[in-house]
Amino acid sequence: MKSHSPTVVLSLVIGLVVLAPVAVLVSLASGAELDSSGQSWQLLFNTLAVTGLTVFGATLVGVPLAIATTHCDLPWRNFWLALLVAPLAIPSYIGGFTYFAAFGAGGELGEVFGFDLPEVRGLWGTALVMSLYTFPLILLTTRAALKQLDGSTVDAARSLGASSLFTLWHVVLPRVRSGVAAGALLTSLYAMSDFATPAILGLDTFTRVIYVEYNAFGLDRAALLSLQLLIVIGIVLWLESRVSTDREQAQRAFELPLSRPARWTALFVILAVLLAAIGMPILVFGIWLVREGGASVNPALVWNTTYPALIAAIATVVVGLPVAYAAARGGLGRWLERMVSVGYGIPGIVMGTALLYVGLRVDWFYQTLALLVVGHVLRFLPLAVGPLRNAIRQSDGNVIAAARGLGAGRFEAFRRVSFPMIFPAAVSGGALVFLEVMRELPLTLMLRPTGLETLTTELWQVYEAGYFGRAAVPGVLLIAISSVAVLLMLLGERRVQYGGAR
Amino acid sequence: MLAAPFGVAKASESPRPVDPISVDSLPKMKGELTLYLGRGEGGLYEQILDAIKQRNPALRLKIRRGPSTALANTIVAESRFGKPRADVFWAIDASSLGMVVGTTEPEVVSKDLTALLKPEYRYERWLPISGRIRTLVYNSQRLQRSSLPSDVMALAQTDHSFGWAPAYGAFQSFVTAMRLIEGEDRTGSWLESMRERSVDFAGELGVVMATSRAEVDVGFANHYYTLRLRQGKPESPIDLAFTANDAGCLLNTSGVAILKPSTLAEDFVRHLLTVEVQSYLAREAFELPLLDGVENPDGLPSLSELQPPRVDLEKLGDLKPTLSLLRRTGVL
Repeated sequence: MKSHSPTVVLSLVIGLVVLAPVAVLVSLASGAELDSSGQSWQLLFNTLAVTGLTVFGATLVGVPLAIATTHCDLPWRNFWLALLVAPLAIPSYIGGFTYFAAFGAGGELGEVFGFDLPEVRGLWGTALVMSLYTFPLILLTTRAALKQLDGSTVDAARSLGASSLFTLWHVVLPRVRSGVAAGALLTSLYAMSDFATPAILGLDTFTRVIYVEYNAFGLDRAALLSLQLLIVIGIVLWLESRVSTDREQAQRAFELPLSRPARWTALFVILAVLLAAIGMPILVFGIWLVREGGASVNPALVWNTTYPALIAAIATVVVGLPVAYAAARGGLGRWLERMVSVGYGIPGIVMGTALLYVGLRVDWFYQTLALLVVGHVLRFLPLAVGPLRNAIRQSDGNVIAAARGLGAGRFEAFRRVSFPMIFPAAVSGGALVFLEVMRELPLTLMLRPTGLETLTTELWQVYEAGYFGRAAVPGVLLIAISSVAVLLMLLGERRVQYGGAR
Repeated sequence: MLAAPFGVAKASESPRPVDPISVDSLPKMKGELTLYLGRGEGGLYEQILDAIKQRNPALRLKIRRGPSTALANTIVAESRFGKPRADVFWAIDASSLGMVVGTTEPEVVSKDLTALLKPEYRYERWLPISGRIRTLVYNSQRLQRSSLPSDVMALAQTDHSFGWAPAYGAFQSFVTAMRLIEGEDRTGSWLESMRERSVDFAGELGVVMATSRAEVDVGFANHYYTLRLRQGKPESPIDLAFTANDAGCLLNTSGVAILKPSTLAEDFVRHLLTVEVQSYLAREAFELPLLDGVENPDGLPSLSELQPPRVDLEKLGDLKPTLSLLRRTGVL
């Protein structure tokens, strides 16, 4: 397999670039001293506990919804899917603050209903809220894996008399394990690097301490703590490496028929999840909008939010392709993939600072859109690589070999044969990056060109100042953009699939 | 809706003993100016900047927004690499300014600018713009103002429950001020005895909200969170109390540092110290004006009734010993 070696070399280079910020962290951390206190173990426990619970919660929601929106005969399937992915566009502090303000004694929701609701705080509250805003990661990676499943085995199981549920549990789920694991890894990296949700809901995690140091001008100590967090991330990456499945070639799609009650249950669950993740923030911020009025939003912000995210999404998929190819070969390639995952686990403020130091060395690069895009690529690379790697592993090598045998060059074989097979994965990976870039804040604030304002920076401004009424409109716009983007993604995916089948 | 900053204030509204200037007396600005703006205050600072831009069509104002600490770190990094970009840094707290001024040592501010401020707010290398004061916010259904001591240190001897935000910059500035006024030991034992009856929150708006929900009796917060919450929900059972001459009523300020001196940069800063901008900040953002002759925001006693302690605000940037103390006492 000598023909694949360029991808390994290329991804080695990409891996080293991703690690450049880590090198900056090492130099920033030199000479730092931490106050030794008994808190470190508590921090480690909290960080791991909230990560584990969030992965559990997000899987519990994400996997069934992935199956329901991929293989079940639900009405308006793509419409639900587009809305179900939208929580990824809601910034974490908005989600965290919504639940802080809505629940508990005297909460906004309690005032609407006329009685007090239990509070959503601490470890369980943080895990619950984080699950609500990360489950689409698992939904999309699982969906990409489901799309690749061979329907004939499913049909075989069903023709032998297996029920839908039995088929699901024994035939479908074992074979999408690596898709679920890819989403679970992303969820755990998110949970470890997020600052706002645990801070607002009162849970002490590594990232919160990093922010405290950073905000007290202890850049060296923030860097040192980030390096400690990297060790924890390394352990999680190692855990993920224990999960793998056999490759499989997609033949044809399949459907799991639902009984009437099952269909109603599925729709009910979808509605409940949407209400909790999207309806709740709209309701809470809507209450403030009515109470204290809003302000007009500059329509230019919509475009300013969309195009950098689009550029970053495309760039991330392009950079992610060689890494995914190398990873699909296993061995060193898989370790390179884990190496590029590190960026998603480093808190944004730390990654931003590291890239600021990199950018300042190159005058024409500093405070340009290019630097911002590079920052987002480095941070969100694993979002694109995971789905791509799975798709490549499962695409039919024989067809590609046949194309090459018939005289197609490496590029032509890729363009006409491989690419259509992995396109759905490229689209889901790109969509994940697009949504994450839209809601990303710390990196954007630090690296953007001076004067580039987005819906997310606008949301942050009004939120920080406590003018929640004015957060409602930008929040709804973010949800609208993400839903439209996901609908477009689904349309494009269908066209390529049907085009490829001809 | 917000009123335009320059449209409402009338020159004849209030007597002015120290001659605050009006925007009308300032020359028109032209050229390019890069402003690093710590936090946007949700459109309020925006309205001021828009009004300035409108009056000065030839001014090309480039604004970079971010948290004050992040921008301070950025400015320090830029100066380390010899690539300063910002002409002016407008920060929401004095500690970010103290940090920037201490590391990058900008030129001394010209006398005619500092002379606009009340004498106690005149610093060598930066200019305070507006004040925010530490307050005790209390639930008025749970207790009377008279049950709160006028000495912040005496709170440790009461049996109220408290809400505070130890990870929040404004709270850390308060503890730093207490350290400077009372010393490490007294501050440490105060924190220790307060800790058992205190609930942690992420920010001070959370503290104020929890106080209005009666989750705690008393909260530590900057004054404007209470005024803003009451503006939205006038029926909230919260009120403000002030201690006297101690860290409990520390007056911290937002302010500007001129990083690249020029006539344009000075003129821009002069705009922020006009009677129009100052009264707009007081009226709409509830900030305390630092010029003579501009009224305090509604809901606050006048500055002559308040007794903030004398503290060198630049020293509030020295947070490392504060964090150590907060950790040692188990507060953070």
